[in-house]
Amino acid sequence: MRTAKQSRRDAKSLLRSCQVNGLLDEARARQAVQQVIDRKPRGYLRLLAYFKRLVQLEIARRTARVESAMDLSPEWQTRLTGNLTHTYGPGLRITFTRNAALIGGLRIAVGSDVFDGSVQGRLAVLANRF
Amino acid sequence: MSTLLQEIEAQISGLQTQVNRQNVGVVREISDGVARVEGLTDAMMNEMLDFGGGVIGLALNLEETEVGAIILGDYLSIKEGQEVRTTGKLLQVPVGKAMLGRVVNTLGEPIDGKGPIQAETVYPVEKIAPGIIKRRSVSQPVQTGIMAVDAMIPIGRGQRELIIGDRSTGKTTIGIDTIINNARINRQAEEAGDKNHRPLYSIYVAIGQKQSNIANTLHVLEAAGALPYTIVVVAAASDSATNQYLAPFAGCAMGEWFMDNGMDALIIYDDLSKHAVAYRQVSLILKRPSGREAYPGDVFYLHSRLLERSARLSENHGNGSLTALPIIETQMGDVSAYIPTNVISITDGQIYLETDLFYQGVRPAISVGLSVSRVGSAAQIKAMKQVAGRIKGDLAQFREMAAFAQFGSDLDAKTQALIERGKRIVEVFKQPQYNPLPVEVQVAVLYAAQNNFMDDVPVDQIKDFQTRLTDFLTTRQASLMTRIAQERELKDETSAALKAAITEFKQTYR
Repeated sequence: MRTAKQSRRDAKSLLRSCQVNGLLDEARARQAVQQVIDRKPRGYLRLLAYFKRLVQLEIARRTARVESAMDLSPEWQTRLTGNLTHTYGPGLRITFTRNAALIGGLRIAVGSDVFDGSVQGRLAVLANRF
Repeated sequence: MSTLLQEIEAQISGLQTQVNRQNVGVVREISDGVARVEGLTDAMMNEMLDFGGGVIGLALNLEETEVGAIILGDYLSIKEGQEVRTTGKLLQVPVGKAMLGRVVNTLGEPIDGKGPIQAETVYPVEKIAPGIIKRRSVSQPVQTGIMAVDAMIPIGRGQRELIIGDRSTGKTTIGIDTIINNARINRQAEEAGDKNHRPLYSIYVAIGQKQSNIANTLHVLEAAGALPYTIVVVAAASDSATNQYLAPFAGCAMGEWFMDNGMDALIIYDDLSKHAVAYRQVSLILKRPSGREAYPGDVFYLHSRLLERSARLSENHGNGSLTALPIIETQMGDVSAYIPTNVISITDGQIYLETDLFYQGVRPAISVGLSVSRVGSAAQIKAMKQVAGRIKGDLAQFREMAAFAQFGSDLDAKTQALIERGKRIVEVFKQPQYNPLPVEVQVAVLYAAQNNFMDDVPVDQIKDFQTRLTDFLTTRQASLMTRIAQERELKDETSAALKAAITEFKQTYR
């Protein structure tokens, strides 16, 4: 009987084997999942579930979500991409979305780092002060 | 008008909008005051986390993908998926003289209805204890006002003396008596304008106690006029385990401020058994591995890091001190249980209170054989050493002989005298609660006992003799008492004067 701890340990080493220069290689990850499914080692479902969670966290860590009140021009997008790549290194996946609820300004989230320059964010800070 | 607009415009254009980086996580799970938060990659150990709406959490478990945090305050409003932010600050409490006379909760917020506290300084709740370079050995006494303690188990400033015993044996009373006695000494020195006096401020930390007991203690302190020199930190039984776990550390931070600023403070942790239970609860909910009696592995470190913060600082570091009187409640007198042995090994001695003695009417019910002060004798004043030097040994011998004498065998005169002396000393050491005695009175009474003035007084009249002798000395021989208090030793002429005074009293005593 494999314990949850062993499955977690295996999932972590599986994730490490899917990384190249500290970045997740998607092809390797797919291949690893396929191999686990083919071989069906003991406790493989739990291993895959934990592996999925680790991959999810890894993707979130390397994804920048840029939200703005209105669509950003291509120049702005290029500028932001350059700045974020400079700060967080290469391999960053950047998504641009429009969120009218921000009222104005930008909100950028990379993993658990959040840069909130939106009007909504400032109003929230102000509301908290009361 | 146009100038006004231009000014406003100039001011707006001069404003720089800054976007700060925040570290944000998401609540994944919340139960029993403990939240598991995903993200928060920058969270530090013991960092305050902002859950929004004024709710603060404390990061205690930093795991690979999530953070385990305990919530300080109302956790019912926290929902799954809610954002949590790091604050970059460790948990801290207000400290300073403004806290004196106040009753506060674990976070240093007033709960006595006397308005806000204007504290200018804050101290982190968790702090590394002073190192060996900053310390010096204990040399100044803490006068508890309890004759048995001051004579046989003296406590020095900067010492950690455990008060241990079963339920209802008078553990809290020893702490409260010490607070009351020191408040009295402080007040007398203030009134006399004594500039050399080093006041001893007190901090009383109530952990997991009934609110009615705390209210009673507060009432006693207020009635004795001790509250203005005391800070009371309350984490009652109805407070969360988190607050009970943090309360002693918050109280210790308040005491450390006095120590760091060259003053002396006394802190009473009432009691650390309940503190260990609260910590066990928090640890189990945080899914930390449990050990003996389900306590977590670091329960020893919990108490050692707390008690190590009590110290006497050297003169180069301000000469301040923090004395700790932790209290431990035993079950059926078992001092060999897990938490009692831990705390006994950490502290510099213990005052052991026995249920049997308590019900025999020996109050305070101090067991002379099991109580010890490892460093306090260096701090005992010389006068007390002169009169009480042999008392502990005499009493121990008396207990042995008294047990032997129960068999009804004939005893030689020497043994008989030892037993008679022992009986009288036991009577002398009986003292009502909340009635601490000044050290000069203690010296005079013990002098009378040691110099055979009580030998012809029947045992059942010893208390009456002592009371009337005290009255006589404090009213008719006030100058002699003041001299003993100031000189702090019995010089030949003082000793002769005391002898003469007691002889004079005995002539009138019937």
